[in-house]
Amino acid sequence: MVNEEVVEFNKKSQPVYKNPIFQQKFRSTSATGKKRTWRSLKQMLAQERTLPWPAEVVHYSSINAPPSFRPAKKYSDISGLPARYTDPQTKLYYATAEEFATVRSLPMDITAGYLALRGASSIVG
Amino acid sequence: MEVLELKDVKAVPDIIHPYPDRVKSEATPLVIDNGSYNCRVGWATEKEPQLIFKNLIAKPRKERGKKDGEPQVGNDIANIEAVRFQLKTQFDRNVVTHFEAQEQIFDYTFTHMGIDTEGAVNHPVILTEAFLNPNYSRNLMAELLFECYNVPAIAYGVDCLFSYQHNNCPPDGLIISIGYHTTHIIPILDGKADPVNSRRINIGGYHITSYMHRLLQLKYPVHVNAITPSRAEELIHEHSMIALSYQEEISKWADPDYYDTNVLRVQLPYVAPANAPGLTVEQQKERKRELARRLMEINARKREERLAEDEEQLNQLLAVQDLLEEGETDEFDQALKTYSLANEADLIKMINNLQAKVERTRQKIVAANSQEENIAMEEQKPKIKSSLQPKDQQDFDEWIAGVRKKRQEILERRMAKRQRRQDMAKRRTAAAQERMRIISQLARKEKRDDDFGMRDEDWDVYKVINREGGDSDSEVEQEKLMELEDVLRHHDPEFDGAGSNVPMVPGETHQLHVGVERLRAPEILFQSSMIGSVEAGIAETIEFILKLYPPEQQSRLVGNIFLTGGPTRFPGLLERLNRELREMRPFGSSFQINIAKNTNLDAWYGARDFGLNGNLPEFLVSKKEYEEKGGEYFKEHSTSNTYTRSPDPLPTVQAPVTSEQVIVEDAVVDVEME
Repeated sequence: MVNEEVVEFNKKSQPVYKNPIFQQKFRSTSATGKKRTWRSLKQMLAQERTLPWPAEVVHYSSINAPPSFRPAKKYSDISGLPARYTDPQTKLYYATAEEFATVRSLPMDITAGYLALRGASSIVG
Repeated sequence: MEVLELKDVKAVPDIIHPYPDRVKSEATPLVIDNGSYNCRVGWATEKEPQLIFKNLIAKPRKERGKKDGEPQVGNDIANIEAVRFQLKTQFDRNVVTHFEAQEQIFDYTFTHMGIDTEGAVNHPVILTEAFLNPNYSRNLMAELLFECYNVPAIAYGVDCLFSYQHNNCPPDGLIISIGYHTTHIIPILDGKADPVNSRRINIGGYHITSYMHRLLQLKYPVHVNAITPSRAEELIHEHSMIALSYQEEISKWADPDYYDTNVLRVQLPYVAPANAPGLTVEQQKERKRELARRLMEINARKREERLAEDEEQLNQLLAVQDLLEEGETDEFDQALKTYSLANEADLIKMINNLQAKVERTRQKIVAANSQEENIAMEEQKPKIKSSLQPKDQQDFDEWIAGVRKKRQEILERRMAKRQRRQDMAKRRTAAAQERMRIISQLARKEKRDDDFGMRDEDWDVYKVINREGGDSDSEVEQEKLMELEDVLRHHDPEFDGAGSNVPMVPGETHQLHVGVERLRAPEILFQSSMIGSVEAGIAETIEFILKLYPPEQQSRLVGNIFLTGGPTRFPGLLERLNRELREMRPFGSSFQINIAKNTNLDAWYGARDFGLNGNLPEFLVSKKEYEEKGGEYFKEHSTSNTYTRSPDPLPTVQAPVTSEQVIVEDAVVDVEME
């Protein structure tokens, strides 16, 4: 009980060092009454790109790592061993015949989970 | 065989530190290393940060009828798994985007540092920010600190540059900073970072941890809830390493002996069942019989009670009738009244009814008794059977062979079913075509005498075309199979079928075998393709960056490769990088890889050094400057980003309409992209 009361008290009173007027401005709700939404990083970067920057300026979005030029090695999804085969049905990689039997006995959600983990679940890819 | 117990470390809530007078009066700078994993805070005059907490907020969900609870921050969250879905962070990758959350973090920070001055936090703040932090984000940060907390001044710096400085590194070098969400590789020439040729890989500790988490969850679907992100994190922090040569290392794991000696057995919390959890088939049957008998006893007792009651009443009525026969009419009339009967005819009718009822009840009791005997007889039958011992070994062998055959048949049937189910899923198989043939035949419009469903066999069609392969009777089958296996386990010494290897060690079913995963998870730093990222790994990116420089500068850079950030503590990382560099550098050339003294805290130490430096006032942005030049403004120094004023006036915070439009547009784009 005491604890709850303390929490209540804390909630109502802002810490003393804060500027009480600031709240309304910073957390202004829009006309629709919705809470302020914060721009995601992606939106920030998109907005940054639209500005006419001088040519030599480097941005957050301009130092992304280069794409890998080495062919991606294939590893068995279930054991992590170097995989030489792909199951045409589930699209999982596997290394040995025993693993193949395991792959075939896996339920859909697990195979889908492995594919998603490897980032291979997109329909296009 | 060693089994690892998980520690499941609980966070200890931070105390509220005292607010020393000297700190208060001298306006000592407050150093905040605002990292996306941990936040470290301390006065510049202290040797160590006073606060180190996970940069997270748990916001209790709003429940109806309740006021929303107080959000918990950082180390206040005792059990992070309990609030996993309510966790919030102010970070999007390594950039602060959600400033309401940042505000709550600052509240927590300043309160726990003991600050109690009214209306302002009277200390210059030294804050770390992302490398090439977008101006938009810094603008909001400045607004929050200057306007909400009234701080007098702010200086910004980049965490890994602070760490570099703190380790007294020479003016040339190459920083490899692995953070929680990102990995930066930043060349330093003549004491200045070169952002043009820096690169950021969007992989960090978080990805390693969640990769481990998912791998184990998929490997042990039964323990999906017991495998928590914090346990995965523990495995990553304490039991993972980077392979010197990944291909070679993992190939070793294909050998079962190697696996057995090197696999890490991790014990999940496990509660031993009080007694044998499932009843055997025999016990279940016994229990059923027992229940039936008890039910019958209850019924018999009820019947007898009713019979006694009825007989009693019948006797009374007969006595009344006797009264009439004896000519005592007065008493007879009174008696009739007590039974609320009109006349003699009614009385006779009632007597007859009762007699009939008594007779019926008696018959029922007799019938029930004989039934009971029947059941007893039936019960005895199996006993006779089981007491029938096999006469000789041959009989026994025959019987065992029969049981084995039956079991095999069920297994085969099951395999066939599974095969059919698989075939059915494919297009061009006989099973699928047969199914289509039946369906089309059924669907053919023949109005005349459609009597499908009249015969029982018609319903079997559904079993045939059912995609699941008509599994309705699989439960019975399973029961039968269990029974047979039970028998075999009992009588057949050679039997070693499924379920015969009952774990001997309690809790063995709750053990996770973590083998290749210990190497596999951190390997994503070098092979990001393993988690579907197209970005180059660390080694490839280093090579890419080095090639952007002339050979003379290349050797200046590799002369001091500096590692910092939590994940660089992985055992084997240094050796691996040594190997990778030897491969990419010219034969016989020299290079040197160093690691920060304290990979986690050196950024804070560096920022503190900066705060103690006499030049600090030169680099502080005062509130006045903030008002003049805007929130994105800061003063450059050797450990900061480079400042470029945003060319257009930034869309101000007070224009929610435009910013909302932007958001909506972006959302549409998102959908299309996906």
